[in-house]
Amino acid sequence: MTKYLIKRILHGAVSIVIVVAIVMILIYTCMNRQQIFAQDNYWTKVKNNQRTVYEFRKWNEYGYLDLVMYSDWLVSLTRSGEIDETTRSSAVAIGKTPNGDSETAKQYVKKFTDFYQSQGYTVRRLNAVMMTTTKVADGGTQYLFAYRDKPLITRLWKYFTGLIKIDNIHNVKEDIGKRELIFTMHDPVYGGEKFSPAIMGNGTDHRYLLYFDDSFPYVHQNLVTINLGKSYAVNAGIDVAESMSVSQGRQTKKLATYPSGLTEETADNLHTAKYSAGSKDKLELTSNLFTDDYTNVSLFRSGKSMVGYSFIIGIIAAAIAYLFGVPIGVIMARHKDKLVDKIGTVYIIFIIAVPSLAYIFLFKAIGGKLGLPTTFNMEVNEAAYYILPIVSLALPSIANLMKWLRRYMIDQMNSDYVKFARSGGLSEGEIFRKHILKNAAIPLIHGIPGSVLGALVGAIITERVYVVPGAGNLLTMAINARDNGVIVGVTLFYASLSVISIILGDILMSMVDPRISFSSKAR
Amino acid sequence: MKDELVKLDDLGMSEEELFSHYDNNELESEKITAPRYSYWRSVFRVFFRKKINIFILALLALVIIFSYVYPAIVPYDQFVNLSNYEAWHLTPAKAIERLGFSIHTILGTGGSGEYTFDAVWFGARISISLAFICALINMVIGILIGAVWGFSKKVDIFMTEVYNIIANVPYILLISVLVLIFSPSFLTMVFALTVTGWLGIAYFIRTQVIIIRDREYNLASRCLGTSIFKIAMKNILPFMTSVIVTLAATEIPSYISYEVFLSYIGMGLKDMSLGKLIFQAESAMVTPGWQFEFWSPVAIASIITVVLYVVGQNLGDASDPRTHM
Repeated sequence: MTKYLIKRILHGAVSIVIVVAIVMILIYTCMNRQQIFAQDNYWTKVKNNQRTVYEFRKWNEYGYLDLVMYSDWLVSLTRSGEIDETTRSSAVAIGKTPNGDSETAKQYVKKFTDFYQSQGYTVRRLNAVMMTTTKVADGGTQYLFAYRDKPLITRLWKYFTGLIKIDNIHNVKEDIGKRELIFTMHDPVYGGEKFSPAIMGNGTDHRYLLYFDDSFPYVHQNLVTINLGKSYAVNAGIDVAESMSVSQGRQTKKLATYPSGLTEETADNLHTAKYSAGSKDKLELTSNLFTDDYTNVSLFRSGKSMVGYSFIIGIIAAAIAYLFGVPIGVIMARHKDKLVDKIGTVYIIFIIAVPSLAYIFLFKAIGGKLGLPTTFNMEVNEAAYYILPIVSLALPSIANLMKWLRRYMIDQMNSDYVKFARSGGLSEGEIFRKHILKNAAIPLIHGIPGSVLGALVGAIITERVYVVPGAGNLLTMAINARDNGVIVGVTLFYASLSVISIILGDILMSMVDPRISFSSKAR
Repeated sequence: MKDELVKLDDLGMSEEELFSHYDNNELESEKITAPRYSYWRSVFRVFFRKKINIFILALLALVIIFSYVYPAIVPYDQFVNLSNYEAWHLTPAKAIERLGFSIHTILGTGGSGEYTFDAVWFGARISISLAFICALINMVIGILIGAVWGFSKKVDIFMTEVYNIIANVPYILLISVLVLIFSPSFLTMVFALTVTGWLGIAYFIRTQVIIIRDREYNLASRCLGTSIFKIAMKNILPFMTSVIVTLAATEIPSYISYEVFLSYIGMGLKDMSLGKLIFQAESAMVTPGWQFEFWSPVAIASIITVVLYVVGQNLGDASDPRTHM
């Protein structure tokens, strides 16, 4: 069994990698890069060389290619101490055409070209666009840069190696004093008096690596972070995993003690403090509150995260679906071709045949008539707002469960074991409940992990129709905004969930049904 | 009893007339007397036995006529009432009152004065065509590949891997990337819906083939030296007819639903399809008094899908030979 499971998990991991590779090929290679600028106002404004450079910068940002500007390269040389400031300023001033370069510029342009060409980059020089012989056209200044398309293998390798990041005390590049892990029994955020163990780090990305607080699941960690990919448009600069799991809504305040010793009601979640070089002295406010550069905190918010909303709605809907779908399916099978069965079949046909959009709007209209709120409001945490989304998700699942359970049960009804049970004198009710249902439910049990994990993904139409701030719309939002990082991240998330839920389903099935065994010996 | 016996002499017939030698024909003796049975005739006999099927078939004919013949006769002009502000966003009652009673006005008018009735059928034509073409392509490819997939063990290992991988690529992503690469035209949509759509059907057929493949009658057939191709065509395909028809019954409406869904999330056709109509009328849905514009395309789309589904399901039931008794 263990051997088989490991094999299955490895198989799943390989197929996840291939899925991500396919998606990367689709969005980075197949998609027309120019599409990014379709709704870009800045792009329509800039002209000539500036537009070309803007395009390359954007492509660099969106992860299509690696771009090195000549001027940036010179700055990095100055920083590392290879050249001094005067050489830099004379080298950076390249001529309108290659012939117009000064001696120093020529020397460094050659160095730049040789260096990057040897690394497989394409070096491009844009000559100045002239309006008259002396006047440069709008946005027509000269540029020099090197670029290289990211090859798929490197892209994949970088993505998967950067996926899981374990924080350690050598992560901060700058000088930060003694690099160490601090174990404390009295978390300073709570004033240093209350008993609350925490592990803090100096030199790590996060200040708090492990801590306790009063929100579920009470113990939290920042040691291992998952990076699904950075977002550029949907949630600028924030990782996909974070934007899915960070809470939304209005800020809420809690009592906390800042590192400087100041205790006040604040929305800053000090446990999330991250290192940000030189941030303490940037603002007077932060320098008053903090004693070092661990100032980058997220805020307490009243709402749940995207995944949180989707999960709550999805899991309740799934529970309701099983609670109603299974008994109704049994009743339909038991009274086959009777009135109950006919009504149920009409309902099933309605759900299968009518476009999902249509019946969700129908439920919305009916719910609205009944006085239920039809647009979700995260500020008001009332159960009423959850009713319609949950019902809209549950009703189709009920139909689906009914359909399959009825089919499986009717198929089982003529089996030998049923005839045997009947000849043994069992009542019809007993046969249905104890024998047929157990056998017919096995394929349905396989789907339970899928419906639980599927709740994390969210539902596109339901969430859109009821304006639920869930995770279901993340993918469509990302696609519309051409946010490649998010697309890849969400795909990985979906693919992992579906692989895991199939494996879990198989395990669950083999647990429920002793006849199903995955170890080769038993066969 | 004895009284009833007839004396042969009374009949007045000659010996030869009474007892002629009947030749023992080898060929004739091989024939088995059975009632005449034609598969398709039985299918239709069973199908029309249910009276509801006639009604639904008539409804389907009506839908087809309205979506293919009506737009051909009456050209659809989206901007027919564009300048007439009075004609915008009308319910049927008001439209009949202001624009006069005609077939155009019975469903009211839309956001720029277009006749909803015309728009709906114009859109339905594109949606139905899309559904039929996609279903045809997917079913043909899916059945052919699924049959091979079910028969060959080597292909099975390979294709199962392919299926496990492709099934994890989000469908919306694939479609939207394809729509972004090409333009959102009709053919792009067909391509996007069929490029991986056949896989699910092929997988379904594969499972069915595997179930039937090792049944005793097929084993016997193979022992007698029947070629795999002949087994597939003569033994398995007839068995699968009802499964295939039932599958088609769910597939065709599902493409219409899919098109509606894609349009709703902004990734649909640029032609005026049913999905696009619903998408455009969505804002009217929340405006009091304008809801009708939203509900008419939704209702028509639902009627079309339900009719197609029910006809297909009942045809699927009828094409199962076990119902022909």
